[in-house]
Amino acid sequence: MSATKPEAPAQSATADREIVISRVIDAPRELVFEAFTEVRHLSRWWGPEGFTTTTRSFEFRVGGEWDFVLHGPDGTDYQEWILWTEIVPPERIALLHGEVRGDPNAFESLLTFATEAGATRIEMRTVFPTKELRDEAVEKFSAIEGGRQTLSHLAAYVTEILGQGAQG
Amino acid sequence: MATMARAATTSDVFNAIAEPQRREILVLLRTGERPVTDLAQELGMTQPGASKHLRVLREVGLVRDRKAGKRRLYGLDARGLRPVHEWTGGFERFWNESFDRLDAYVRGLEQERQEEQR
Repeated sequence: MSATKPEAPAQSATADREIVISRVIDAPRELVFEAFTEVRHLSRWWGPEGFTTTTRSFEFRVGGEWDFVLHGPDGTDYQEWILWTEIVPPERIALLHGEVRGDPNAFESLLTFATEAGATRIEMRTVFPTKELRDEAVEKFSAIEGGRQTLSHLAAYVTEILGQGAQG
Repeated sequence: MATMARAATTSDVFNAIAEPQRREILVLLRTGERPVTDLAQELGMTQPGASKHLRVLREVGLVRDRKAGKRRLYGLDARGLRPVHEWTGGFERFWNESFDRLDAYVRGLEQERQEEQR
C-alpha cells in the first residue's frame, strides 16, 4: 500500500522540522534489524531505562501496526501507535509514529542500518509535519523524561556534553 | 576588547557556555567546589580573567559561590543547565537512551546465539 510512498523532499526543505539521530550499535546489522521486528525484542529496549511497554497488537509488515502503552517509571502511561510504511531487511524501516491510529500529528521516521567496521550504524531521521509539531514533540518527550530526571543526572549529562565540547 | 559586546550577549546560558574557557571552568567544577585561584592556575589565565568568567556563569545561574573562611568557593549549579537540556531535547535523549538499551540487548542476544551454536 504505502510502501512506495515518495521520499521526503530535499534536506533543506525539512531541516527546520526534522530531527536526525545517529548511533553505532556494537553488533551485526542483521541482529540489530531483528531487534525491531518482534515485540519480545522491542519490549526489552524501547524507551529509556526504567520504561516498560504493554502491547495491545503488533504486526511487523508494511501496513501493519504496533499499538502499545509506554509506562514511565513515575507511573505515567503514554498511548503509542506505530504504522510500518516500509520494510527492507536488513537496511531500512520507515514508520509513522503517533498516539492513536490516524493521529493527524503523527510523524514519519526513517531508520537506516549500515554496516560500519563490524558494527552497525543506525540513523533515525524523523520529519515532523510542521516546525511547531517538531517543537511540541521535543517538549512532550522532555516532559516524559522529566518524570524521572533528577538534577544530578541532568548535571552529569550536560557537563558530559560540555566536556566533549571543551576538549574538541 | 569584547567587554561591551560580552555584557550584551552573555545574558543567557547559551551565550555563557559558547565561550570555551567558561566551558572549561564548568568541567573543572564538576568534581567539586574550587576557589578562583585554583581555576585560574589550572586554566592558565589571570585571576581577574577567571573572576570575570565566573561572574558571567553566576549571572546565568550555572555557578554558585559561598564563603568558606577567608576563601570564596565556586561550584556548579545544575539548575542553570535546564534550558540547555530542554534545548538538546527530550526527543533525542529518549532515543539515545533507547539505543543504549538496544546496544546492550543485541550484544547479549549475539552472545546467546553464539553459545547456542557451540
